[in-house]
Amino acid sequence: MAENNKEFLSVKNLEVIYTQAKKIVHAVNGVSFDLPKGSTFGLVGETGAGKTTIAKAILGILPVPPAKVQSGEIFLEGEDLLKKPEEEMLNVRGGKIAMIFQDPMTALNPLMTVGDQILEVLLLHNNYDKQEGMKKAGEMLETVGIPAERYGEYPHQFSGGMKQRVVIAMALACDPELLLADEPTTALDVTIQAQVLDLINDLKVKFGTSMLLITHDLGVIAQTCDNVAVIYAGQIVEMGTKEDIFDHPTHPYTNGLFDSLPNMTSAGEMLKPITGMPPDPTNLPSGCSFSPRCPYATDACRSGDVPMKEIAPGHFCACHVKGGK
Amino acid sequence: MGRYVIKRLLMMVVILWCAGIVIFTMTYLTPGDVPRLLLGAQASSETVEAKRAALGLDKSYLSQLGTFMVNTFVKFDFGTSWATNTYIVSDLAERIPRTLILGLSAMVLNVVLGTLMGIYAAINEGKWQDSLVMIIAMLFVSMPDFFIGLLLMLLFALKLGVLPAYGIDSWTGYILPILATACGGMAVNARQARSSMLEVIRADFVTTARSKGQKEGVIIRKHMLPNAMMPIITGVGGGLAVVVAGSPVIETVFSIPGLGAYMLNAINTHDYPAIRASVVFFALFASCAVLLMDLCYAFLDPRIKAQYSKGKKVKDK
Repeated sequence: MAENNKEFLSVKNLEVIYTQAKKIVHAVNGVSFDLPKGSTFGLVGETGAGKTTIAKAILGILPVPPAKVQSGEIFLEGEDLLKKPEEEMLNVRGGKIAMIFQDPMTALNPLMTVGDQILEVLLLHNNYDKQEGMKKAGEMLETVGIPAERYGEYPHQFSGGMKQRVVIAMALACDPELLLADEPTTALDVTIQAQVLDLINDLKVKFGTSMLLITHDLGVIAQTCDNVAVIYAGQIVEMGTKEDIFDHPTHPYTNGLFDSLPNMTSAGEMLKPITGMPPDPTNLPSGCSFSPRCPYATDACRSGDVPMKEIAPGHFCACHVKGGK
Repeated sequence: MGRYVIKRLLMMVVILWCAGIVIFTMTYLTPGDVPRLLLGAQASSETVEAKRAALGLDKSYLSQLGTFMVNTFVKFDFGTSWATNTYIVSDLAERIPRTLILGLSAMVLNVVLGTLMGIYAAINEGKWQDSLVMIIAMLFVSMPDFFIGLLLMLLFALKLGVLPAYGIDSWTGYILPILATACGGMAVNARQARSSMLEVIRADFVTTARSKGQKEGVIIRKHMLPNAMMPIITGVGGGLAVVVAGSPVIETVFSIPGLGAYMLNAINTHDYPAIRASVVFFALFASCAVLLMDLCYAFLDPRIKAQYSKGKKVKDK
């Protein structure tokens, strides 16, 4: 088991571009990370940093065109998903890897009953007949805290939090080994967020699922993740265990993220937002993408590539200035 | 749901009354001395006056209107034709089936082909297949149906000689007029289907379906198409009315003795009862088509169905 751990999900040098009216959008630029079996890996970064694109690339559901995986490898248990033929990927999707989407309001087909939508994925990946499938779909609803009698109801009859539960039930229906949770709580209000997060955590443990959690909310990361990668303009700028990132944030961008959180202990203090705007992904600055907004940037930052350095065991940072020598 | 249908049927009756009043008034206001026109210039003024009294045209507007409304909507009797003295109801019974065969088959053809063309264009958005379908649609939508009819006649009847150019002596006579009627609607439907498919093609629930490992064909059939159906159905509802109301042109071009040609003839001969009967039938057909479309919405979309039976639901709670 121990040696298999590292091998479970491994993304290497992933590069994804979108072509838009002759412009090339560099969405993901050389992202590498490993996800050990059974753990939760958090991808944190602001809107447009390429987080969702990474998840969709893993699942192979990027809209092609305009999207294109330029280079890189995505290994799941030693097999490169990017090289798998489409027919085999159909079995991976929903079976081995499942995804929870950001907006439960639009993620469900409004014209199908919620039960049938869960049934759809069950029938695709199991040899159930319809009767067994319906029974299992009802059980899945119960698992996420929805009475099985609501099988025949339509999405518009559910609240946002309940819809997200349905989406979760759908994702977990076939007992996937990897769960991609793309901002699963962003569209929900705060009280429901905690419930849904707890539910995901409980079910993850119950089903023994590994999880890639995408969020822009550091609080969510703190509650759920083992390892964290901070992503900026399609690149990982800092990566390590949750403790590394929360206790010893090193990259100026990570520090900026923490500084822009409201401080609950001292009243009346101004927030310290990161100055400037994220770079235009059609025209990324040379050198470190964060250098135009970085208070510590030097000429070296603006010229050459900034490699990831291991600043402590398992804690990586891509910064000339703060990353240590 | 049942209550909703009853409500709609009652509304339909009101709409038909209104249509009746409007068409009666319009024909009443049409200039020209009808008995004189019917009898010709040589007829003596006594004969003309006698004719006027026989047709009831000497009475006041309101009394004529009352008689018309009672006869039409209570006795379902349209009277006899002023021009041919035949019974209008039996005239209609003979002609309506021909118009319906023409209109309904054209409709089925244009909905099925148009929707398929639209879907095909949408899933190949931006590629040459898309442009091809849209160019064909543009051509058909900009050519009037009688012109398409004449072109079809030239090709299939005159050059190839495989189909009759006019008349309905055998069922083959229907083929060209159906094609001519269907082309315009097909183009409209293709464009509508394309744009509403494009709307759902990037919808989140389609991505969800992909993430389940569903095959692309099934996603199109099960997830995209039902969600894209609403605007298509709206188009069909309107198109159905247009196809039947547009029948005078095509029936004249192909010499088909249907309702459209009948109405056109009635207009030329100032045969007011026949005009009124045809218009009332067209109105009946159009309102049935619209009702059918609305029921289709409810059948397809549970949200609309819930709205229809809202009154009942509130009571339940």
